[in-house]
Amino acid sequence: MTEQKYKFLSTPRRPVEDRRFVAGRGKFIADLDRPNMLHVAPLASHYAAAVINGIDASAALAMPGVVDVITGAELAAAVQPLMNGLNTPNVRRFPLAVDRVRYAGEWVCAVVAESRALAEDALEKIIVDATPQPFILDAEAALLDTSAPVHPEHGSNLLLDRKFVWGPVDDDFDAAAHSLSFSVTWGRNSTVPIETFGVLAEWNGWDQMLDIWASIQMPKYADQIARSLDLPGNAIRVHYDVDVGGSYGVKRGIKHSVLVGYIARKLGCSVRLIEDRLENMRAGDAHGPERKFDITIAFDQDGTVRSMKMRALDNAGAYAGRAPFQLGKPISAIVGPYQINSVAYHALSVTTNKTVQEAVRGFGQAPTNYAIETAMDRVAEYLGMDRLALRQKNLIRKDQFPYLIPSGSYYDSGDYHAVVDKVLTAADYPAMLAERDRLRDAGMMAGIGIAACLEPSGGNSSFEPLLNQSNQTSTWMESCQVNIDALGKVTARIHTTSSGQGHETLVSTVLGEVMQIDPELIRITRPNSLESLPGNSPVGSRMAIMLGGAAARAGEKLKAKIMAIAAHRLGVAIDELRYEGGDVLANDGRRLAWDEMVELAHRQYHNLPDGMDPGLASFDIMQVPTGDALPVDDKVQMYPCYSFEFHLLLVSFDPIIGRPDIHSYFIGHDCGTVINPAIVSGMTYGGIAHGIGAALFEEFAYDTNGQLLTQSFLDYLMPSSHEVPAIQIVKHCTPSPHTVFGQKGSGESGYLGAPAAVSGAINDAVSGLGIHFEKLPIRMSAISDAIAAKTS
Amino acid sequence: MKPVRFDYKRPATIDEACGLLASDDNARILAGGQSLIPMLSMRLSRPSLLIDIAHIPELTAFGETETHIEIGAMVRQAVAQKSEFVKTHIPLLAKALGYVGHPPTRARGTVGGSVAHADPSAEIALVAATLGAEITYRVDGADEIFDASDFFIGPMLTIAPPTGCLTRLSFVKAPAVCGTGFHEVAPRKSDYALASAAAQINFAAGSGVTSIHLGIGSVGDFPERLDVDQLCGTPLDDSAIADAVHAAMQMVETVEDLHATAAYRKRVATELAIRALRDARGEISKDLNQ
Ligand SMILES: Cc1cc2nc3c(=O)[nH]c(=O)nc-3n(C[C@H](O)[C@H](O)[C@H](O)COP(=O)(O)OP(=O)(O)OC[C@H]3O[C@@H](n4cnc5c(N)ncnc54)[C@H](O)[C@@H]3O)c2cc1C
Repeated sequence: MTEQKYKFLSTPRRPVEDRRFVAGRGKFIADLDRPNMLHVAPLASHYAAAVINGIDASAALAMPGVVDVITGAELAAAVQPLMNGLNTPNVRRFPLAVDRVRYAGEWVCAVVAESRALAEDALEKIIVDATPQPFILDAEAALLDTSAPVHPEHGSNLLLDRKFVWGPVDDDFDAAAHSLSFSVTWGRNSTVPIETFGVLAEWNGWDQMLDIWASIQMPKYADQIARSLDLPGNAIRVHYDVDVGGSYGVKRGIKHSVLVGYIARKLGCSVRLIEDRLENMRAGDAHGPERKFDITIAFDQDGTVRSMKMRALDNAGAYAGRAPFQLGKPISAIVGPYQINSVAYHALSVTTNKTVQEAVRGFGQAPTNYAIETAMDRVAEYLGMDRLALRQKNLIRKDQFPYLIPSGSYYDSGDYHAVVDKVLTAADYPAMLAERDRLRDAGMMAGIGIAACLEPSGGNSSFEPLLNQSNQTSTWMESCQVNIDALGKVTARIHTTSSGQGHETLVSTVLGEVMQIDPELIRITRPNSLESLPGNSPVGSRMAIMLGGAAARAGEKLKAKIMAIAAHRLGVAIDELRYEGGDVLANDGRRLAWDEMVELAHRQYHNLPDGMDPGLASFDIMQVPTGDALPVDDKVQMYPCYSFEFHLLLVSFDPIIGRPDIHSYFIGHDCGTVINPAIVSGMTYGGIAHGIGAALFEEFAYDTNGQLLTQSFLDYLMPSSHEVPAIQIVKHCTPSPHTVFGQKGSGESGYLGAPAAVSGAINDAVSGLGIHFEKLPIRMSAISDAIAAKTS
Repeated sequence: MKPVRFDYKRPATIDEACGLLASDDNARILAGGQSLIPMLSMRLSRPSLLIDIAHIPELTAFGETETHIEIGAMVRQAVAQKSEFVKTHIPLLAKALGYVGHPPTRARGTVGGSVAHADPSAEIALVAATLGAEITYRVDGADEIFDASDFFIGPMLTIAPPTGCLTRLSFVKAPAVCGTGFHEVAPRKSDYALASAAAQINFAAGSGVTSIHLGIGSVGDFPERLDVDQLCGTPLDDSAIADAVHAAMQMVETVEDLHATAAYRKRVATELAIRALRDARGEISKDLNQ
């Protein structure tokens, strides 16, 4: 038996957080109560577009229990527009509509009352005088000169129009034997947390302090609130010690927080706003990418893919939001796991009269992976080549790492072929093929789905300077503080909320590993923002790398101090000492116990090395590995680590009913060194479930009047446990050279490839009929209708 | 998502409930709440008075006569699903109940509430319409009885009197030899169906097939009984079944929404009706072949 490399890392340990969640003892925004707390309900626009002529709130204000009605005009005069990260000064956005509404569901004004129910009663009494305007829903139509701009002051619907050429695209196309073109569309969907967004704000005029509790997953949240409210940064105190009931990108809440922050300050009280499901789905931060891809791909007869031209047109909705940048992240893995020599990328983001698009798990990577994987299937189909063999031919080889892709990022490490082989073995691929054929013989439609893709992780947001030159961001640090108290117990502080990622488990495991202390004995706390060091919250699959990294480094600093104390005490050089389970051993056999060193540090200054500060505390503010430089020539190293996943599944359906049944689902997953296996597997299972939703069920669909059709779980269908099959995870570990333990990100795993794989399986099932499904989600009705059209 | 303010009463008898209904023309009955509570929360329903009938003992009882089984309106779907009465005498309903929502919604949702609510995809309503169940309402102190086959007239629309309280459903007992089939298709397990079909073939030793009941739901504005009488007396082979169903489906109008096209609903309802009939035939194949 080989000796285990780690004591706590990579071992099956129960996540710390599970205990309180399973027992129902989490502390969420809805669990908080403050004296005399007021409640807010926003009034939603019926129109997809309208000019607001006036708002008469007198009847509402006259109702008992109603305290105030805030309009967009009042708010716009008092707060700064919300940041959007682009240079589009005339695409201004406030928490409430100002002069114009731009999507159905947009907040027109907000009632403040003694209860949420009273506030909703009052909403019904508000009379909005509005004149409907022409509106636009389709992104291609929004591009046309003849279409009315959603923001007339901006002059057009274009938010972003950037063309990149990386490598000799024209030469590669000229040299290639074949090329083919196709289009696919990724439907608007989300991650749909169980808990909708909620925020509680309280203004204390004597302290000049705005206290905020919010269910956020949002980088630089406090800064953005302070900027919008024109308050000094240290007048906003965000309390991170709340639980967040799910997010994956959609718990941003800036507009909600600016609104309640303004109200709290205006009225000198505490105010809470918790979205109901309708508000969450039509006007929260729920909507993710809606993207059309036009792809031309150049390849040789032997299946070598040489080059790709990709136009990605994203429907951002009514304001800039985060949508344009979600076209930026995929640049860091624009060739997927393949050796594609050159790429032309045209990224377009347009405004339409739909709900604003915000960040969703993978930040645009899953749609792009779907496009790339569809391209691989199409090339195989064109050449009459096996889809698997085509991928194996083009996958980057193990000996090519670090591998520089045309758009400027080095992939850190991987062994893609090994992962694929492991999955094929685990799934008994020949048996799977035989089962597919048996199902086909029995009159079913059956298909196998294959997808390989990457999860860029731990980056520094450098898509922002790439897409907006005035942005000079070159760090996306994370931090951790560690203190050993006078009784010898370890407490670490983290500076963010968690929405299910298990940061307490992460940090206690990592610190336990470094300090060789049982993680169960390490306490993790979350101070408020004013007591925190800089950090960027859990976005971009970064916390294992960045928070894990900062925790490990803070732990190493403490260990170094302990060693120095021991060396001084024992009168030997540090390199004659060994750290073991918290104690220090000298080569001559003498031992200093943990408690003795704690005693020295906390009480016996006279026994510390000269000039050493007393106590045992450390902190670390960690810079993103590999992420120091700004873009040059449209290229940049965007992420330090690239996790790999390979999906393989078998689907069948009745040709008339068209309801896909997933028989078996295998995923090979390599995210480097795993810190907590249960958390990584949980991410992957959930990600695949989410991906099945994106492929088959979930869509924020609009009718021709611009009304959102899927405003509740009656119509926004997420897969349930019945639709998600048993999933076999096949693990592989290629450590990253850039991180403390070789870990990579896994927060988006599963989701990044599942939609492509499920789509591929369904397309394989109908391939004999010459059908291509080119839009997600692929509804059962569309499947059956397409087959009927071919066979009747 | 907070309901409009309402009063709440919990009567102990049917007549007390009817009195309350008559006292306020914006009153509404609350049964299992699985449809009504969400409608209240979305303010789609805005009653001033809610009459909770969960505590009226007569409404939770089963009854049996020589020819019929009666199910009280307040019988929970989960209770009906487990009932030996239902399994023995209304096997088609027993089959359908497993498709109504999920275990938690069936634990609260009621048989009567489902019929009164009249969702076009309600399985219980489909079975009632297919079998021509009797639906009894108490109105102004008297019982009014409706034939389920023409009770449903639109989405959430019936010919029930607005001030009536549905008290019971009454089904003819299935004969000793009868075959049933139930099929539905939904995007996810137990979703509101995109198409559903129910079939029952009654058989009597000596006279053979005595009647064939077929109904489809979820495809139009209400569950519909289809006329396949032409099948009686035929050998009930696959092609006869298919022909009869195709003929009956010709007049059916189907609706379109985000989840399915009208053509899909028609195609699939046709297929499910055929499968339901075949299943029913399969259950009595021994008797048919004698
Ligand atoms: C997640 C979910 C999934 C569901 N899936 C399905 C499904 O697949 N198939 C299906 O059929 N249903 C489904 N339902 C609806 C469910 O079956 C409801 O229980 C049923 O439609 C209504 O029954 P109820 O007892 O809950 O009635 P309530 O919700 O209490 O009432 C419904 C309506 O009927 C009226 N009403 C109720 N009882 C009487 C009475 N005795 N006399 C007069 N009027 C009355 C009420 O006033 C109200 O208008 C689902 C519900 C949920 C929440």
